[in-house]
Amino acid sequence: MKRQVAIVEDEPAIRDNYAAAFTREGYQVRAYANRKQAMAAFATRLPDLAVIDISLEEEPEGGFELCRQLRALSAELPIIFLTARDSELDAVSGLRLGADDFLTKDLSLAHLIARVNALFRRVDALRKPLEASQVIRRGPLMLDGERMQVEWEGQVVLLSLTEFWIVHALARNPGHVKNRQQLMDAANVVLDDNTITSHVKRIRRKFQSIDPTFDAVQTVYGMGYRWVE
Amino acid sequence: MSLRLKLLLLGLLTLLLPWGGCRYARQMEDALREGERNSLQAVAQTIASSLQGRTDLLYREGKEHAPPSPDTQDNTDDHPAPAEAAPSPYDLPPIRLGAPPFLDGYSDEWPRTPGTWRYFTRDKHRFGILAGVYERMLYVLLDVEDDHWVFDAPGANPLDASTTGDRVWAGILDPTGTERQYFFSAPGPGAITARRIEQGEYGQSLAVDEPRMVGAWQPTAKGYQLEFQVPLSMIGRRFGVLIDDRDQRGATAVSYGTLYSDDLHTVGRLIVSAPELTGYLAQFMQPGLRLSVTTSSGRLLAQVDALAQVAVQGPQRGILASFYRRFVDRPGDRKRIVSDAPIYDRDHHNVIGNLTATETADRWSRLRDRALTQMLNFTLITSALAFIAMFAFSAWLALRLSRLRRASESALTREGLITTFPETNAPDELGDVARGFSTLLGRLNEYTGYLRTLAGKLAHEIRTPLTIVRSSLENLESEKGVPSGARIYLERARQGSDRLNAILIAMGAATRVEEAISNAERSRFDLVPLLASAADAYRIAFAERRFATELPQETVMIDGAPDLIVQMLDKLIDNAVDFSPSGATIILRLTLDPSVAVLEVDNPGPPIAPEAQGRLFESLWQSRREGGGENDNRPHFGLGLYIVRLIAEFHGGTAAAESLPGNVGARFTVRLARQ
Repeated sequence: MKRQVAIVEDEPAIRDNYAAAFTREGYQVRAYANRKQAMAAFATRLPDLAVIDISLEEEPEGGFELCRQLRALSAELPIIFLTARDSELDAVSGLRLGADDFLTKDLSLAHLIARVNALFRRVDALRKPLEASQVIRRGPLMLDGERMQVEWEGQVVLLSLTEFWIVHALARNPGHVKNRQQLMDAANVVLDDNTITSHVKRIRRKFQSIDPTFDAVQTVYGMGYRWVE
Repeated sequence: MSLRLKLLLLGLLTLLLPWGGCRYARQMEDALREGERNSLQAVAQTIASSLQGRTDLLYREGKEHAPPSPDTQDNTDDHPAPAEAAPSPYDLPPIRLGAPPFLDGYSDEWPRTPGTWRYFTRDKHRFGILAGVYERMLYVLLDVEDDHWVFDAPGANPLDASTTGDRVWAGILDPTGTERQYFFSAPGPGAITARRIEQGEYGQSLAVDEPRMVGAWQPTAKGYQLEFQVPLSMIGRRFGVLIDDRDQRGATAVSYGTLYSDDLHTVGRLIVSAPELTGYLAQFMQPGLRLSVTTSSGRLLAQVDALAQVAVQGPQRGILASFYRRFVDRPGDRKRIVSDAPIYDRDHHNVIGNLTATETADRWSRLRDRALTQMLNFTLITSALAFIAMFAFSAWLALRLSRLRRASESALTREGLITTFPETNAPDELGDVARGFSTLLGRLNEYTGYLRTLAGKLAHEIRTPLTIVRSSLENLESEKGVPSGARIYLERARQGSDRLNAILIAMGAATRVEEAISNAERSRFDLVPLLASAADAYRIAFAERRFATELPQETVMIDGAPDLIVQMLDKLIDNAVDFSPSGATIILRLTLDPSVAVLEVDNPGPPIAPEAQGRLFESLWQSRREGGGENDNRPHFGLGLYIVRLIAEFHGGTAAAESLPGNVGARFTVRLARQ
């Protein structure tokens, strides 16, 4: 059975383009223009994954509200924010609401689809037993490439998809400096320096909430970041 | 010319006030002087008409005519008396003497004024006479040319005709109208006394000495001189001398002179006023006035003089007054006023004399001076006050204007709200200007603010259509059945949209940095290793430039966001790379002040343009030349150095740019507060 992707986007041209791309990828697409329509549909049936724009017609923050309601309906449903806004505050708010990723619309369709695929893969992997081959262990760090899950000292660190890919890229080769471009490539995003910086900052903060002495992600000024064991 | 100077020059116009005052004073004085002249003329005419016909005063003529004596009566027809005023060649006008001459027979003490001598001749005989008056005495000097002067025989009776030598007669018509004759007969040089002939008790003639008429006789090269005095009280209207020139004692005399030689009657008048004339004139006297009576021919008869007396008693004229005088008095001003009035005879036919009244022009000067001084003081003080007021006003105005100028200048360079603009509360035109400026700057500020956010807004607005384009292109690429010939266009369209995307990212950079700054967390970190590691990164990133670092050995702790510092450094290095030629060395230097870490980035290349100085770090300012950098295909919005400034200010510092000495490059300096 085809997986169902819901697209909530008020701009018809973008909505249709995304719908076309997902359809081509073999997903079943359900597209909505506003929160009301979307919620009405979600009430009867939840999609397998939701791509939500933040501002929806009359509601500038309608996407956040939709995300909250959707998360209330299902804790596991992968949610991706896709927005023309690139404010960091939006990103923080979106991720705090439990979104799995926060993306700007300049992301290419191919990258978007790669993410969607990855998220579905994770959903599948979570249902299967742990596969040791996909697991990277670096001291207290346990990184499951299949499930896209990270544990630090045995506790799960809730990372967004982008953040997971950044940690993954860094931890795979500890001590190697990854510059921002490399991190962007790994995370399948096109971002500017500040966004990478804020992603790294968020990653550190998430680890530090478990272990305040966490210092494994180091900044190499002018070059990038590296994982230190 | 500054406004202050202009106002001061305008202030000089108030000097017209004292100038006008001077003009006014001058005219007033002219009028005053004219009045004085008129009143003096009136005085002169009054005195002159009071002297009308007063020949007794002017010419010592008795009021009543001389009592008819048989002699004179007889001679009236033969020798008609000259008309009262008609000048006669026999008149003797004495000169005024400054001092009584010493009666020695010499002319030394007499003034040597030519033309004062009168000469009388008969055949080859000639004598000169000079008369002078000093106080109440008439002095006469006779210079007789006589090649054979003959003395009387010593001891002989002077009335003995056989022994008589040269003889000088003096004839007088005395105040009572009686003719009297005196003679000088010298027995030798030296003192001599006049004598008169009187009828003795028995009818005999006696030569009696007249002690009031004394003199001296002295020989000269051509003849002799006789000098003698006669009290004026003895003399009435007429006076004359007669020379009896004899070549030997007892010989027949050659007589000539101003007396009738046969009866020795006087012909000429003595032109000298009665002593009472002076007294008469004195009653009209006032200080600062001089009255003089002259004959119609101009000879002075009497004079009273009080010119030297100061008209008004009191202290000397003040310094200020005499200073003002210099401006008011015209150089041609005469210090004295003179009025003439003719004195007529009784019948008002002939002019018998002239009265001249002279007045010092300064008679009323004290009063005038006081008025003038007061007026000029007043106008000068007014001028000075006006001048000072104008100076103060202009200074105040200039101060306000310069405050306004400074405010308008600084309001433009510092971005952000103009909270207080000076002078906006002033109710005058300057206040209007200030309010206008304030409004204008407010609008300008709004506009700059709008411009600053425009890039971000634009980026946001363009992002949606761009997403449509990009997603459509990507869909198109995925479509099957796109002819391969069309793929190349698809590829180009995709590249274009990528570049558009890059532009969008650059446009939003400042907004994101501002956001990043507002969210930035501060931490204490060492600047030195950060710079060293960043420099290493730049060496890799910009292989065609060389990077030199000059860093201190010690640790330099600052409180801030290292990410932002690096970002700032990125912008500075970007800028340095853009403006430097390939292969150039870019110097990254950190020096330390006690409280400030000074970060400098030097790059060879063009110097900072003067117009860019101070504006480089403003948002949206760009002085980039065309083709300035070789890898300059990235979009520039003049935000790089603005970001530098934002980050520097976040770290409690400043950013500045200057040309390197010799204009060989540029230096960007960021000062960061040390902890």
